[in-house]
Amino acid sequence: MKKLNILAILLFAVSVVAVFMMSTPTTRKVQEKVLAVFSPFIHASANVGDVVSGGVSGPPLNPQELAERNEHLRVEVQRLRIISEKYNQLVDENNQLRKVVGYRAASPFKLTAARVVKRSSATWWNTLLIDKGSLDGIGTDSPVITDQGLVGKTGKLAPHMTEVILLTDEMCRVSSRVEGTLVEQGVLSGERAGLDTIPNLHLRFLNRDAPISVGANVYSSGQGGVFPANLLLGRVIRFQNRDISGEALVKPAVDFATLDHVFVIEMQEILQ
Amino acid sequence: MIFNPLVLLLLLLSFVLQEFVPSVEMVFHSKLFLPAAFFFAAAVATSFPMMLVLAFVAGFIWDARFLPTPMVKEVNSPIILEAIGNDPMALAGGEISFGISIVLFALFGVLMQGIRPMFKRGRLELPVFMVGVATFGWLTVQYLIMTFIRGSFSFPQAVWMKMITASLLAMLVAPLLFLLLHGLARLMSHEIRYEGLSYNFNGR
Repeated sequence: MKKLNILAILLFAVSVVAVFMMSTPTTRKVQEKVLAVFSPFIHASANVGDVVSGGVSGPPLNPQELAERNEHLRVEVQRLRIISEKYNQLVDENNQLRKVVGYRAASPFKLTAARVVKRSSATWWNTLLIDKGSLDGIGTDSPVITDQGLVGKTGKLAPHMTEVILLTDEMCRVSSRVEGTLVEQGVLSGERAGLDTIPNLHLRFLNRDAPISVGANVYSSGQGGVFPANLLLGRVIRFQNRDISGEALVKPAVDFATLDHVFVIEMQEILQ
Repeated sequence: MIFNPLVLLLLLLSFVLQEFVPSVEMVFHSKLFLPAAFFFAAAVATSFPMMLVLAFVAGFIWDARFLPTPMVKEVNSPIILEAIGNDPMALAGGEISFGISIVLFALFGVLMQGIRPMFKRGRLELPVFMVGVATFGWLTVQYLIMTFIRGSFSFPQAVWMKMITASLLAMLVAPLLFLLLHGLARLMSHEIRYEGLSYNFNGR
């Protein structure tokens, strides 16, 4: 073998070992830097996709119809603003009452709206990219929701882009409870590779012969430390006993194929 | 001499173009993995040390761009939570390590180096087929590593379909990549030489 080849192999081996030795924060930093470099191209590709799909989705709505829709949305925003105001008052009141009876105050949270840019091009992982990032106040491992339920959690961050690991990915595990039962808790995760359009979720580590009925809602239990409690995850479609525990098959509450907008939950510190 | 930096530049460009490659919805969102296909094609056209450089760059950027970050895993056992000091980050990781693609690209790059004599003679049939084989092998090994780490062996039909489609798409684009590399070599007056095992016939 030529000397140059041996030298190349040695240098390659040392470089690979150095990469494998990188710590988790360093790896994250590298990934975020690379995502930041690629984000303009990702935005451009999403725009190209929008132009192409817009071109085949038919003519735009007429101005009168758009004006009516705008008026309807304006009224809806006002209504929701009033509800939001009332909700904040109730949270404050609730926290004051908790203080009186010696309970820990509930953490307020901030919702950041984001647009889904595109589904990721990864080989085996179910992710998507949203148009808000670290400069918009989003952090890693924050829950991502829609009005239908939990979508997943944030991963890599760029200044104005974030990767969301979907609930349908096997890596995204959520500590969950089943509605209508007192103690039935398990860990919900997606399917390996999750290649189906609407893959089912698996709720594992339940008690054998647990009284779980088909159609029961599954919510996050809030015990795992990442996701807050009571986020809707899906509905039970089947329950079966495994060797040492029970397992429920769950249909996701969110339609992942038609996601346009999502909200990122950022838990905030309680002001004393 | 300028051929190698240009190939490296094209590899970087393939990562940019990858963002514009649409997926085939009817086959479980399969798509062409252009950087991988380009690397396997370039592995035939470059020397062994250059192939290792390309494998390192391709694997590093691939993992940085597409491998999910080490994740926090939720648990529902108070005992485990207490054991980890209620710090969910303590359970982060446990997935495919960052850098694994570098090793995989290098392994399949070595495989591709074996067919350099054919490429040098301008025969593209086997190199094109081998780009598909290398893509299939790369995806299979990646999936098997993931399965090994996560436990429980499962190989659904969708996985096969996705791997086969991606390999066929790589084979479809491979002739263009080889022609591009050949054209580039001709333009740069670069001789694509086989520097591995050699046999000199001395007339006896």
